[in-house]
Amino acid sequence: MNESDIAAEPGNAPWTCPFCPLLCDTFGVDTGPPGTPLKLVGSDCPRARAGLAHFDAATSTAQPQVDGRDCDLDTALAAAASLLASSRQPLFGGLGTDVAGARALYALACETGAICDAAQGKALMHGLRALQDRGGFSTTLAEVRTRADLIVCMTEDPTAHYPEFFRRCGAGVREDLRIETLPLNGDLFDTVSLLAALVAGRVRADHERVPAELAALAARLKAARYAVLVYESARLPLQGALVIEAIQRVVETLNRSTRAASLPLGGGDGASTVNQVFAWLSGLPLRSRAGPLGLEHEPLCFDAERLLTDGAADTLLWVSSYGPEPTPPATEVPRIVLGHPSMGLPRGDRVFIPVSTPGIGSSGHLFRTDGSVMLPLRPLYDDGLPSAADVVRRLTDAVKAQKKGRVQ
Amino acid sequence: MTTTLCLRGGRVIDPANGCDEVRDLYVRGGRMVELAPNERATEEIDLNGCIVMAGGIDMHTHIGGGKVNLARMLLPEDHRANANPLALPDNVLELASCGTCTPGTLATGYRYVEMGYTAAFEPAMMACNARHTHMEMGDTPILDHGAYVMLGNDELFLRMLAERWDFERIRDYAGWTINASKAMGVKVVNPGGISAFKFNQRKLDVDENHVHWQVTPRQVVHTLARALRELGVPHPLHIHGSNLGVAGNIQSTLDTIAALDGLPGHLTHIQFHAYGTEGPKKFSSAALQLAEVVNANKNVSIDVGQIMFGQTVTASGDTMRQHAQSGLADPRKWIGADIECEAGCGVVPFRYREQSYVNALQWVIGLEIFLLVDDPWRVVLTTDHPNGGPFTSYPHLIRLLMDRSFREEQLAKLHPEVAAQAALRSITRELSLYEIAIMTRAGPARLLGLPDRGHLGTGAAADIAVYRENPDREAMFATPEYVFKDGLMVSRAGRVTAAPVGGTHFVAPDYDRGIEQRLRRHLAAEGSVNFDHIAIGHDELCQCCNGGRLLPAACFQEASSS
Repeated sequence: MNESDIAAEPGNAPWTCPFCPLLCDTFGVDTGPPGTPLKLVGSDCPRARAGLAHFDAATSTAQPQVDGRDCDLDTALAAAASLLASSRQPLFGGLGTDVAGARALYALACETGAICDAAQGKALMHGLRALQDRGGFSTTLAEVRTRADLIVCMTEDPTAHYPEFFRRCGAGVREDLRIETLPLNGDLFDTVSLLAALVAGRVRADHERVPAELAALAARLKAARYAVLVYESARLPLQGALVIEAIQRVVETLNRSTRAASLPLGGGDGASTVNQVFAWLSGLPLRSRAGPLGLEHEPLCFDAERLLTDGAADTLLWVSSYGPEPTPPATEVPRIVLGHPSMGLPRGDRVFIPVSTPGIGSSGHLFRTDGSVMLPLRPLYDDGLPSAADVVRRLTDAVKAQKKGRVQ
Repeated sequence: MTTTLCLRGGRVIDPANGCDEVRDLYVRGGRMVELAPNERATEEIDLNGCIVMAGGIDMHTHIGGGKVNLARMLLPEDHRANANPLALPDNVLELASCGTCTPGTLATGYRYVEMGYTAAFEPAMMACNARHTHMEMGDTPILDHGAYVMLGNDELFLRMLAERWDFERIRDYAGWTINASKAMGVKVVNPGGISAFKFNQRKLDVDENHVHWQVTPRQVVHTLARALRELGVPHPLHIHGSNLGVAGNIQSTLDTIAALDGLPGHLTHIQFHAYGTEGPKKFSSAALQLAEVVNANKNVSIDVGQIMFGQTVTASGDTMRQHAQSGLADPRKWIGADIECEAGCGVVPFRYREQSYVNALQWVIGLEIFLLVDDPWRVVLTTDHPNGGPFTSYPHLIRLLMDRSFREEQLAKLHPEVAAQAALRSITRELSLYEIAIMTRAGPARLLGLPDRGHLGTGAAADIAVYRENPDREAMFATPEYVFKDGLMVSRAGRVTAAPVGGTHFVAPDYDRGIEQRLRRHLAAEGSVNFDHIAIGHDELCQCCNGGRLLPAACFQEASSS
């Protein structure tokens, strides 16, 4: 075991916070005696504190359940496998897991023909559809921290959802960094479109319909050495891909003469990680399935919420390993939940299997919001629970075995 | 009882051992073995009428990591058949995976193996993206793999050069980076140019200063080549030179070779760097000029990066050049990124057209380079997948190189001025099977420092491709009769028969760990990741690579004494 492997042991290395896609890794966690909630050290990030409050450094005693009754793991797996094996169209939702969980889920999705969509699927698809239609130019946190002289928050102040964001950008340390928020003029799309026109010189700054503050922002963007346009995918309205395209248009125009880039904030709770893993394994991102006609990708139709509303899925497998939220949507179809032990079993769930939380009770890997950096998650203690990946692998074997049994 | 397989009666073409003869081969425990006089094989396959070679090794193919996955996400149209989904595999050993220019990792593994390849190397791994890169390669079934980590555009390296740090510290930094990212070598892309683009510089010649750091690509190339030599890394510095795709860039290429000053260097996708400015369109082949210099400089090896006509996508770390080319995107969309003060990426879809003067000439230039360089041990067959074309076009490329009449038929279909004037018309050379075996397995293994790969001598790994002799070399190389990986039959007549997890090649050079304190301070001041989270340990590498075997390659013994 070399030095970096030793670091994988609980408590031996700095902690990577798995609760938001900034993946801050310079804070500590005070793990008191088992039974006491974990405490964040070195930051007052409310999101990290809220995440840690669901854990208490104790080995979990939570048991799997079938129809509300405690059972052993094999019984729960058999019940879940039976539901999936007989499902005509399973849906995998939530997808709150890490790389290992995603790898395992892909094999199960191929076996069952499931459609897969993350809890944050809508926000994820804004970015993905813009990418598929037009592409885009982006940057990463280290670039922003050292290079940006102008950060424009395109979807209001990100602090509410990403409390550490500005600190990660070097705000307050670098005197040459200016941070501002897009002044809305009409709706978001109108404003960004007008900004794009101003930056490209398609509208004169002194035109009567141009607010002075937007014209001034356009001038500062053009004068900046390295401008960064930050947006939160989850705050975009319907057809958010159009807003992203307009943001990319601003970036592209600026890059003809100076330097600029976009930075999306989003994809937490495993969403962007599972999306990347599915894309590399199959060639297609989320909202895809290995269906009867082949590998299908439907960024609009394969929306989990829509499928449940339309009655187009008959079984839901929900994964939420980072905390009791997000909970599975209320639905009539049978639910299998692989989740945080305190999720318990909401009424109507057929199977519940508690799973370990990567970065708290076990190791794992997640992508950061900028998509280029993947960080290791180190366990703080051993929570005694199986990982989502372990459970899904066993479930896949059980589904195969049940299908084989039926054929014979 | 251990089984011993006899491959009987095939024509064995094994250039590393100087062999081209009909003989029997024996496989036991995943290795090539010799039988003692009283031993007998327990299984036998009759290979009468077959050609037997070591498994193919692709030493430059973009199969994993951030930009490859971005390319997949950019092009859903590459992952369907017009409006229809691509059919699921009819082989229970395969999981669903699709795509042509940038297939899913699963399809990448299956398609390479069906073609007789048993190893592939990702040439452009970013240190900050190393875990992701290793994961994708670990999810590329059957193939062994490795990656070259990118240096030479990271702000710390450029700062070290600019501030004239001791060479030994720069060397240690390179050693640390290779170890931390578990790389097989180092690649430099547009030396200094990716960083310069972040400072809004749009062009960087070999002797031109980086606008901020005031260092030149010549210094970057020489320093990195020297560092690898002193660290004892077997694979020479992997160089994607300055001014990719620019008419007249042959001068940059010759300057880059001169910058090596006799040190080993591997110039990659050289076709994209061999352009002159002659003729009415100010765009001409400089293949002859290049070949003369490569022939004369034994320290230099190349891979070609042949272009193939049709749709593909170019995925590169060279943000400066990809931004400049983005107007040619087809379909019209592209992705760029500045990444972590160490690298960048540019993904631009592209369609090479036979009737385009420039594309036709690029095709000609690649073939001319193949045919004009004398020493096949220093030329590797690549299309720079997917940048020049997908790897699945290798059998077609091999036929172009082996069959002059076929080559001329294809040439006649191109832009008429190119078809009429290309020097390629007068080149009569047809590569032999022996030369193809060098360029596709023996040569790459030697250039990578893999003593037990790329050949079929006793003790070598039993990675074997068996082709049915066929005068149509494209058909022959597209569908080998048998492919073995570590002695296991993994493909039979173009159909996967087993899908084990491949192994990971990497090197672990020694370096002075005193450099780590400086790196720790640097990352705290300017990075975005905790220093203690950068390095990948052996256990974590194993997890990333899906539990595949770790295959550390030895460094030169004379390291650091030079």
